[in-house]
Amino acid sequence: MTKQTDVVAAPAPADVVAAVHKQLGERVTVDDGGALVVGPSNLIDVVRALRDDHGLDYLANLTAVDWLDRFEVVYHLCSSAGGAPIVLKTTTDRANPRVPSLFGIYPGADFQEREVYDMFGIRFAGHPNLKRILMWEGFAGWPLRKDWREAYFEQEHKPLTSRWPDGQFFFGEDKLTDWGSNTKLPPAYTGAEIGRPKPQEGQYVVDIDALRRGTSFGSDRLVVNMGPQHPSTHGVFQMRLVLDGETVVDLEPVMGYMHRNHEKIGERNLWLGNMPFTDRLDYIAQLGSEWGYALCVERMMGLEVPERAEYIRVIMAELNRIQSHFWSIGFLLNDLGAFFTPSLYAIEEREIVLDLFEMATGSRLMCNYMRFGGVAYDLPDAFMPLVNVLVNERMERAIDEIDAYLTNNEIVMERMKGVGVLTPELAIAYSTSGPVLRGSGVAYDVRRADPYGIYDRFDWNVVTANEGDVYARYAVRIGEMRESLKILRQALPQMPAGEILGGKKAWQVRVPAGEHYARVENPRGELGYYCVSDGKANPYRYHVRSPCFVNLTSLAEMCKGYKVADVVAILGSIDIVLGEVDR
Amino acid sequence: MDAIELGIVALKCLVIVAVLLTGFAYTTFLERKVIARMQQRLGPNRAGPFGLLQPAADGVKLIFKENITPVGVDRFVYFLAPIVSMVVAIMAFAVMPVADPITVTIGGQVREIRFQLADFNVALLYVLGITSLAVYGLVLAGWASNNKFALIGGLRSAAQMVSYELAMGVALVSVVLVVGSLSMNDIVDWQVAKGLPLIVLQPVAFGIYAITAIAETNRAPFDFPEAEQELVAGYHTEYTGMRFALFFMAEYINMITVSGLAATLFLGGHHLPFVERFTGNLPWFVDIGVFLAKVILALFLFIWIRATIPRLRYDRLMAFGWKVLLPISLANLALTAVVIAFLAR
Amino acid sequence: MLADYAPLVVLLAFAVGLGVIVMGLAHFIGPRSPSPVKDQTYESGMTAIGGAQRRVPVRYYLIATLFILFDIEVIYLYPWAADFRNLVAKQGFGALGGMAVFLGILLVGYVYVWREGALEWD
Repeated sequence: MTKQTDVVAAPAPADVVAAVHKQLGERVTVDDGGALVVGPSNLIDVVRALRDDHGLDYLANLTAVDWLDRFEVVYHLCSSAGGAPIVLKTTTDRANPRVPSLFGIYPGADFQEREVYDMFGIRFAGHPNLKRILMWEGFAGWPLRKDWREAYFEQEHKPLTSRWPDGQFFFGEDKLTDWGSNTKLPPAYTGAEIGRPKPQEGQYVVDIDALRRGTSFGSDRLVVNMGPQHPSTHGVFQMRLVLDGETVVDLEPVMGYMHRNHEKIGERNLWLGNMPFTDRLDYIAQLGSEWGYALCVERMMGLEVPERAEYIRVIMAELNRIQSHFWSIGFLLNDLGAFFTPSLYAIEEREIVLDLFEMATGSRLMCNYMRFGGVAYDLPDAFMPLVNVLVNERMERAIDEIDAYLTNNEIVMERMKGVGVLTPELAIAYSTSGPVLRGSGVAYDVRRADPYGIYDRFDWNVVTANEGDVYARYAVRIGEMRESLKILRQALPQMPAGEILGGKKAWQVRVPAGEHYARVENPRGELGYYCVSDGKANPYRYHVRSPCFVNLTSLAEMCKGYKVADVVAILGSIDIVLGEVDR
Repeated sequence: MDAIELGIVALKCLVIVAVLLTGFAYTTFLERKVIARMQQRLGPNRAGPFGLLQPAADGVKLIFKENITPVGVDRFVYFLAPIVSMVVAIMAFAVMPVADPITVTIGGQVREIRFQLADFNVALLYVLGITSLAVYGLVLAGWASNNKFALIGGLRSAAQMVSYELAMGVALVSVVLVVGSLSMNDIVDWQVAKGLPLIVLQPVAFGIYAITAIAETNRAPFDFPEAEQELVAGYHTEYTGMRFALFFMAEYINMITVSGLAATLFLGGHHLPFVERFTGNLPWFVDIGVFLAKVILALFLFIWIRATIPRLRYDRLMAFGWKVLLPISLANLALTAVVIAFLAR
Repeated sequence: MLADYAPLVVLLAFAVGLGVIVMGLAHFIGPRSPSPVKDQTYESGMTAIGGAQRRVPVRYYLIATLFILFDIEVIYLYPWAADFRNLVAKQGFGALGGMAVFLGILLVGYVYVWREGALEWD
């Protein structure tokens, strides 16, 4: 079922940049940071060349930076065979920001471009469905532009005229519009088309008129909203389904209900103040989120992390992975209709890991444990004996138990096998990562592809499965828990004594001007942080490449043609955490 | 039928309704407790000793809940549906014998009191007919609610229940073949006379009956009409408070009824067919205890299955009903008929 | 004979009475504070797009039709089964043969329906 593969080392980014520069001549330039810079008009050609001639088939990250005089759109491309990402930048003017869309080359650019449009107002020419994704349709303003002031904190501009007009509390829902009357709307916007998007030619949004056309038997299609208030959407996530009977004809994910403009707040916070904030992204895998951010800032500052801190990080991250996979397997079974029994048994194991987290960090979920250059506290004395028992005795048995009861269960196999199939080519094209990508047979794990920390010291394998269905993703998770245990068994005895926090003691970190994209393998996939510093006390740009968010790009593709019940299972197999999707 | 007899009938009806309501309440309690134990939880334990008053607390809560009637519902059908569901559920229990008859003297007259509301020669057919009416409540609710989840739930339930009813009907024909009567008492007496519960003679029919009974009552793993993960609450999505409680009541009373039917048809009803060879006929109160024990055992199985097994997918369920269960039950019927023909000749 | 069924009427009266009382009780005791939004039909918290009372796939009707066809035939099995021993005593294997012909016809229809794909759910 699962297999283990070693990743072949890819050429260093600098070599790729040089080769590209040689091939494409004056169409691209290389800036100080080693990034390729290209004009918007040449973007499509250059990216196509990068993908086809240089093997950069994976769009890891796509975001933008507002430099006040121009917008810079930043792409991080890498190869699915591994290697550090190369940076590609293009600029556009602020008055009429327009950049060609990469949708045709990397379908995985879909949601990321919509996010950039939503946050910066940069129009991506050629994108088939360019509309807001995190903010609601009709919102006035581009929240991540530097001249946009945050409501209630920076007070210059409020998107809402008041939360309590007339000084009295009332329920916004009673206004019977989708947002009530307390919203400042764009001048030309009437709101007439709310809830009934008018599809244009070539769009893949829900086609209301198609309902009337129906099928050959003359039955009507149904448009059904699954979510935001629905038992199996794992939070406030919405899927708008077009059903023919019970078969899914079309699906549109709608998100942003939990959007809190994490990145804008991150740019207001001090560098260190962001650390507890990253816990709130993926609250099931909180320590991985912290590690990604710490890694990014450490590399920008050029900090060395002491040995002991590296080991502690690996131990924490792998424990984190195990408990997160327990959680997701348990709730995947819930989505299949098992009445909470598997999830409660899985949660029992998770609770034990959380107890350990509480012991080491003082908190079960919002750990706030990593620091730039190490970790905040050393492990308490009682920690090591407990974690040894857990790793060497209990966890193995727990995983075996789950494996024994679920993996060969006939109903489980029947519900999961052959459902939500994603081919390896599509999985790469859609920029999926984590178990979704590895379940499609692509041995891409950031710990191996672009090593960080001390993962290169341990003997472990990248778990993959070839089928690309829900069952494969489940099997990958089971396999990964075992690999994590393997890493833990090697790391625990090797743990050295010594410092836990490197670098100079300082009240406030000084991050030199520059930028970096750092990524870690979180349980849900490639979690990336793109930070830009201008030397000040807070980040100039702070972007989170959320694995859940990007994985959702492939949801519609996976669900079409399957049944309603399968949609729930497929969503469960992607295993989203809304805190990270909506940011 | 004189006045005293009418009084007895009315009393029996009252007892049936009261017992079924209490049974419903404590089946929900049993379910919550048992599932909680299976999931390493405690279950309800705050209302009364061991949480025993929990069903009462639930009932009071439901009565005091706001009743929301959504716009766009077909009002008459919307209110009719829960009543239909519940009435059908209660009616099915009418022919269930729970103990041997006793004779008492009322007003100088010696009367036989049967622990069964009515027994007639087509009782089994009556039960099948009544339980198949249960689908009306679900479909009407799904249609009247003007809600897509309810609609899909209602349609699913209709298709599922009729599909499984077919297999159940054919499977029960084999029982009738063996016993040679459709009367509940005859079936029980036959098992006592032969000293064998029918489950021994007709294991395949029992298996099919068990599967189809779970499907007929819309319980996990066949709880598609109300599959929470897909359809939220299915056909009763738009029902609140006591209206919802009526559907809930119908589901659990149906569980009790099919459990009782299983006990009667396959497990010797209120008798212990093998044991009574040695002990002789047991007194009526022991009969009731025996019947109750069998029903509770069957209910426990319902609950156990719910706590253990994930849901099948709907299209697979339909295929399973039509392509697996129906042929098997037909083959079982043919085999039974041939064997009996040979034995009877 | 018909008097055997009389208790059912009494029980029906009790059951309907119970249903009406429960619904009525809830109607009079439960609080009511309707609002336009609260009274919308539930669709996961969104305003529903289009009503639900529309034409449904023909698949469901097909199942219903098949059910009626087969269930009526199953009904014929019951009197035959109840009287099977007598029939065997009178007719010998003729009792079996007659039903075999009947079931054979049923089976032909069943195989036809299966082959035509009416039992597939797609």
